[in-house]
Amino acid sequence: MDAKTKASVLHDVIRRFGTGGSDITSADWEQFVEAQNDGFQTGPEMGERVPGFSLSDQNDRRWTLNDLMGPKGLLLVFSRSADW
Amino acid sequence: MEKLRSQGVNAAAITYDSPQILHDFGEAYKIEYPLLSDVGSKVIRAFGILNTNIPEDHEMMYGMPWPGDYLIAPDGTVRDKFFLRDYQHRPSASQIVVRHFDGDGGSNTVNVTADQLSAAITLSTDRCFPGQEIAVSLGIKLKPGWHIYGKPLPDRYRATELILHGPLVEGLALEFPAPRPMLLKALGETLPVYEGEVRALGKLGIKWSPPAPVPFLEAFGKWIAPGAYKIEGELHFQPCSDSICELPQAVKFELPMQLEAGIPPAPKKTPQQ
Repeated sequence: MDAKTKASVLHDVIRRFGTGGSDITSADWEQFVEAQNDGFQTGPEMGERVPGFSLSDQNDRRWTLNDLMGPKGLLLVFSRSADW
Repeated sequence: MEKLRSQGVNAAAITYDSPQILHDFGEAYKIEYPLLSDVGSKVIRAFGILNTNIPEDHEMMYGMPWPGDYLIAPDGTVRDKFFLRDYQHRPSASQIVVRHFDGDGGSNTVNVTADQLSAAITLSTDRCFPGQEIAVSLGIKLKPGWHIYGKPLPDRYRATELILHGPLVEGLALEFPAPRPMLLKALGETLPVYEGEVRALGKLGIKWSPPAPVPFLEAFGKWIAPGAYKIEGELHFQPCSDSICELPQAVKFELPMQLEAGIPPAPKKTPQQ
């Protein structure tokens, strides 16, 4: 899928979601997922050090990787969005 | 998440949403772990997982990552990672515990007995979401003098097999350890056998259900109402001793499983006037 098609699919399905989504077919949905998965990357490899960061949470408290880390590790989940 | 914490593993989630949106989401779903706000997707980019298929002018989706989880060791290195390409499947936190940490494989267990063996079938949880993967473990204790079979096996004998079924069951992938070849004089052949104690580990896929009976999503999976279900199953085996072979047998069992509702987006707070 080229960049133009991907952009158009992504805009289109979200717009149709916005108006109820009843006209979205399963083929549309498959295309929507495919448009997002092209060139799928998964980031740092096993054994690789992850990038450092400092971010605020839902209560405006700041956390670095060290702050979050438990005695045996940290499960860090990257989600699409909490908003939709 | 308590299971993870009891094993010394903390949890946190990152999205590109503002702290306010994350606050509303956390309140709505009573989330106790940190929801980190990566507005502008700086950290998502630093990890190299910014979804570059989304055009910059896409208001809703630009800045989104390819979603996935990292299990990070205390020294800051990646111990494991779980990235799935569709919206439907995600490993459960309890499965991550079973895969990486010793000890408690789960408390959702059922014990079965037959004349020649006893077995425990354990699931890593008794609550799940549609599309999740749950860890399964099977532990068999054979009485002395008896053995059961592994694979590959001629048709006239029954290999040991665990079958799970029910409205929630999508599929089961269970790995047995390598069996031991044993020369069975009475039968005149060498066959792959298990004796003593055997443990098999695997994954149970829970069927995916759309969060609501929405027509276009039903093409991927029928709506399954949240609630209490049973995972039913059988352990198939053929017990043999040095001198005789019993007929293949199956012991039946069931395990409870609570299906939670798939999570829709958090309800928006009404603006204060």
